[in-house]
Parts: sequence; C-alpha cells; structure tokens
Amino acid sequence: MSSPQKLNFPSATGWIVVALLLFTLTPRSFSQDDDRSRAQMTEALKHTKYWIWDKETRDKQTIHFWHSVNIPARTVISRATIYITVDNGYRLFLDGRELGQGSDWKTITEYDVRSLLTPGPHVLAVEAFNDRLAGGLMFALEAETGDKPVEILSDDSWKIAPLEDKNWLDEESPRANWASAVIVGKVYGDPWKPWPYAIVSVPPLQPIVLHFWQKLWFQVTLLSLLGLAVVICIWLLTQLTSRARAERLLHMQRARIARDIHDDLGVRLTQLVLLGELAQNELPAQSEMRGQIDRICEQARDLGHAMDEIVWAVSSRRDTVRDFAAFVCKYAQWFCQSTEIRCRFDVEDELPPTPFDLAIRRNLLLAVKEAIANAAKHSGASELFLRIYRKGEGLFVAVEDDGHGFDAARADWTRNGLTNMAQRMEEAGGKFFIYTSPGMGCRIEFHLPLTVTRRRWRWLNRILPEENNHDIAENENGTLRADEIQTPNHR
Amino acid sequence: MRSDITKTSESGVALRRLKIALVEDKADLRDSWSKLINSFPDFSCDCICASGEEALRSIPLAKPNVVLMDIFLPRMSGIECTSRLKEILPKTQVVMLTGVDDNELVFMALQAGADGFLLKRTKPADLHAALLEVTRGGAPMSSEVARRVIESFRRPAKTREQSVHLTTREEEVLILLTKGYSNKEIADKLSLSVETVGSHLKHIYEKLHVRSRAEAVARYMTSNP
Repeated sequence: MSSPQKLNFPSATGWIVVALLLFTLTPRSFSQDDDRSRAQMTEALKHTKYWIWDKETRDKQTIHFWHSVNIPARTVISRATIYITVDNGYRLFLDGRELGQGSDWKTITEYDVRSLLTPGPHVLAVEAFNDRLAGGLMFALEAETGDKPVEILSDDSWKIAPLEDKNWLDEESPRANWASAVIVGKVYGDPWKPWPYAIVSVPPLQPIVLHFWQKLWFQVTLLSLLGLAVVICIWLLTQLTSRARAERLLHMQRARIARDIHDDLGVRLTQLVLLGELAQNELPAQSEMRGQIDRICEQARDLGHAMDEIVWAVSSRRDTVRDFAAFVCKYAQWFCQSTEIRCRFDVEDELPPTPFDLAIRRNLLLAVKEAIANAAKHSGASELFLRIYRKGEGLFVAVEDDGHGFDAARADWTRNGLTNMAQRMEEAGGKFFIYTSPGMGCRIEFHLPLTVTRRRWRWLNRILPEENNHDIAENENGTLRADEIQTPNHR
Repeated sequence: MRSDITKTSESGVALRRLKIALVEDKADLRDSWSKLINSFPDFSCDCICASGEEALRSIPLAKPNVVLMDIFLPRMSGIECTSRLKEILPKTQVVMLTGVDDNELVFMALQAGADGFLLKRTKPADLHAALLEVTRGGAPMSSEVARRVIESFRRPAKTREQSVHLTTREEEVLILLTKGYSNKEIADKLSLSVETVGSHLKHIYEKLHVRSRAEAVARYMTSNP
C-alpha cells in the first residue's frame, strides 16, 4: 500500500527535525525549573530539622498531630509558608479547613498560607498515615512578621490526639491526655537518607469567603422563616375551615330560628288575633271593651309584622338584592296604608339574585324605613316614590316625596333621623345624600357597594389588625358632608 | 269595607250565603276561622278539612264557592292540594292563607292555580272584602308578585300550549300593580270600573295557571322521553 519513497523518511530530513525539536524545547526549561526548585529546597531545608512520630511505630498507622499557632495582634505577615511531608501520607488542616493532601513522602510540599494566618489563635492539624516500616512527619511553618518571625517546626511541641477523639480538629487547646510527639530522626538521617529530594508548590491559599447566604445565621433565619410561613399557612387553613364551618352553622341556626319563629310564634299569634276578633264580635258595638280588644288585635298584628321582619332579616334563604327590593316595597306599601300618602314603586325589572350581606341589608332596611317614616311624618306629601336600581357595581335606593321639603343645613338632624340614616349607611359602608329645599320636596338617596370581594375578605380584616377595616370605613364613609347636601334641580 | 257588608246584606244578595271551605291543620285555628267566617252575614263555612287529603275527598262533594287553603299542611302541601283541586273543580276559587308574606310561596301557589292569597293576620273586614273580590273577580295582587308574573310571561314559550299571552290591557294592569297602584287607582287611571280590573286580574291568574301547567307538562315530557 505505501509507496517506496516514504520508506526513506526517517533516515534523512526526519532525523534533523527531531534533533532540532529536542534542542529548542528541552534544555532551557529544565534548567530553569531546576534552579528554582533547588532554591526552594534549600529554603525548605533551612527550617526543617526533624522527623517526628508517635512513641511507637506500626504499619498502617494513623496519627493525629495537633499544634496551636498564635499570631500576635496587629502584626502584618509578609510571608507565611508551610513545608510538609509525611512518610507515607498526610492530610493538612488549618483551623479545621483542609489545605491539602500528599502521599509522595519523598517530595516536600510548600503551602503559601499568608492570607490565612490572620492575627489571633490558629490550629494546625496533620492526619499522618504510615503504610509500613518507619513513619515520620517533617513540618515547618515560617511566618515573617515585621519583627519576630513565628516559627512552628516538627519537634516535640506537637501533640498527638487519640484517634477516638472525633473533635480533635476543632480543639482550641490540647487535652490533658494528649501525648507529645517524639522526634524519630533527623532530616536526611536514617532511614530517610537521600530523601526528600524535590519540592512542589501549591498555589497561594485564599481564605474561604462565605457569602451571607452560606452563613449559618442566614440559613437558620431562612429556615425559621420558612417554618414560620408553613405554620402560618396551616393556621390560616384551619381558620378558614373553622370559619367555613362556623358560617355553615350560623346559616343553619338562622334557618332554624326563622322556622321556629314562623312555626311556633307565628301560629300562636294568628290564633291570638283570631280569638281577639271573635271576642270582639261577641261584644256590643259601642262597648268600651270592644275598643280595647280591637287595640289588642291591632298590637298583635303589628307584632306579627315585626316578627315577619325578623324572620326576613334572619332567614339566610332570603338574602339577595331581589328579596330586599321585594321586602322594602311590601313594607312601604304596608306603612303607607295607614297614611294619606300613596306609595309608588320604581324598581328595576330584573334585579339579580346577588347575595346581600345580612348586616348591610339590615342597615339599609332601617335607613329606608327611617326615610319613609320621615316622609310620612313631616313632608305632607301626597305621593312617595321608592326607587331601587343597580348602579354600576352598587345598589341605589331613593326615597322621594313631593312634600314641602326643608332646609337641610338648618334642620335638626337628630330629631328627624338624618343622623341615624347617616350612621346606618356608615355601618353598611355606603353613602347617603339628601336633595331638598323648602317647597321642593325631598329626595334621600342611598348608595351601597354590592361587591363580593369585600365579603370574601372580611375574615382577613377580622384576623389582621384593624387598619384594613379602617380603610374601608374611611374611604366609603357614609357620613354626610356639608358639600353633599345639594339643592335639588331634579324636579 | 264595613259598608260593603251592609250594602250586600241590605240588597238581599246575602239571602244566599256563599259557601266557604277551609283547609287548615291546626285545630284551634280551624275553629276560630270558621267562627269568624260564620260571623259574616253573607258567608258560611260549610266544609272544614284538617289535611290536603281530606280536602280532596270532601270539597268536591261540598262544592263551595271559595276554598281557603293553608299553605303549610302536613304531608300534602297546600300548593299541591290546590293544584289537584283545580283539576277537579276548575271553577272553584282557591285563596291561599299564609302566615308569612313570602313571595316565592305565593307565586308558586298562583302557578298551581290559586286565585289569590291572604295573610292570616288580615283584619276581618279585609278578609271579608277579599272573599267578595275573589267571588267577583281576581283577588288583589302585590306589586312584587305582579313583577314576577310579568317576568314569567316574558320568558319565551317552549310549547304551543305555553304560548298564552297577556293582552295589552292585562299587562298595563300588571305594570301599574308593580308600581304600587291599588285596584281602584288602576281603574281610575285606565278609566275602567273596579270590576273590570278585577276580571282582568282573574284572567291573569288563569293564564298564569295555564301557562305554568303547560310548563310543567313540557318539563315532564322532556324529562321522560
């Protein structure tokens, strides 16, 4: 397959190329590295004198060497180097942080720890391992400060922590039962005669920067916040369920009360009225007793009416806007029967069955009743209009008469119930307006929000501090301000 | 109202007393009602029933002019009883008696064929007037019920039988009722006699019954193919 010319390749040009490559690449770089490592080696050996180990040496032996370092306060360290090698291997720790490992005991490793040795106490620890035969730790820490250098060498000042002691890395001072290290030989003495012969440097070590999210306080805070959130969620859930249960119970109770009033009291009251009427019939027409019984019957009927109102207010089956309109109309008609006023309705044709909260419903009913009673008592009107409409998101109720009106600015508000109406509207979260002037009739308007959101979140307002409730009361204020009293031009 | 009684008794109409049947489950109420009705010179309470079942047995035999029916009866409700009674005696007027003024119930009763309704607490004079009105024409209707009646007639009809419509006049009467006018005021406003307004009402009640019965049949047909 290959051509015969190609077979000549190594013999001629090939050899020249290989020789050139060897010349240019190898000699200079080797000699430079050699020079530097030799200088390093000399520096390292200046400090290291002894091999140390435990009293006895065994194969497969692990020893925990421990030494404290104290860097005086306010010293600036210009250089700090650790030289270390262990026959056969080691793990080096400073303040509990592992700086590095080594298993080639014939080579010294140089660690630059300048940035790690801040003023204050530190702990050096070496987990040394001997595979077989002799074992030893050769160590030197050289820290150059401004005046007196700090020097830790491998000598008998090292302590040996028992292997059972799990926290030996974190100890700040040696325990009483810790033994001292034993010098087992000189550097370059037997049995390590020709070694170590090389040195390697580890890039300068930097202190571990802990970001705030890695710090314990942050994690603890975060966790506790999460825990708190979970607890709050659970609490809110239980609150919600218990509220739902309470609401259902309330509805049931309301229904029961309404039924009881109707079934029991209602029937008895009907019977009372009937008995009264019958008794009346048996008396002579002009007798005084007859008049009295008539009054009793009248009272009982009124009582029945009041009871109907309670049943209506309490019954949860009837809490829609539509029912409200029906009830108010009925009331107005009933009320006007006993007066000279004709009652007229202007009600939106298809009012929706939107739910209407009991409290709002009641307040609005009472306010409208007050307005109707006012018209009947003071206005001298012949016709009274009750208007009920939806307006945007809200409900609009107006009581209008063609009577002689009054001067709203000078009227006695307490006497004619205006204060009361304002208060009712404030409680219901609605607005209240009067349009009147002497000789021009009177129109009283009630505006109420029908939004369901308020209803849904009311429980939150109840749980949370008052500010929420307050907001609503302030914004949808029902109190009548002077500028809201307007002279009518609607007629 | 009192003058009504004297007028009728003086004019001799009272010679033939109108027969009233009463359906009421509470014994003491039953007694009081019958005594009260018998105290009117032109009415007599002939047939007294304690339950809907009894009413269906005895009322067809007694053939009263007006039936006063309690709306809440044990087992068979007053509304159901009315609807069955109307099938047997379509010409007999049924007036519902209710303890509470509940539009929902009243409207249901009207759809079942009732010709009017009365609150149990009504004054004897008003009761008398209402009974007279029912025998002459339609009983008065409240504004809210009138509104419901208009609404129900405005719903599109599904079957031919259902497509009973109100005449313009009838609708006018209903609209005035929703605005709170009394029968007499309506008569004035539309230049009619009160009796004519009453007969309009009577027709409205009848049409409502026909329409709702057709609706019920239609519902039955669609649910049982």
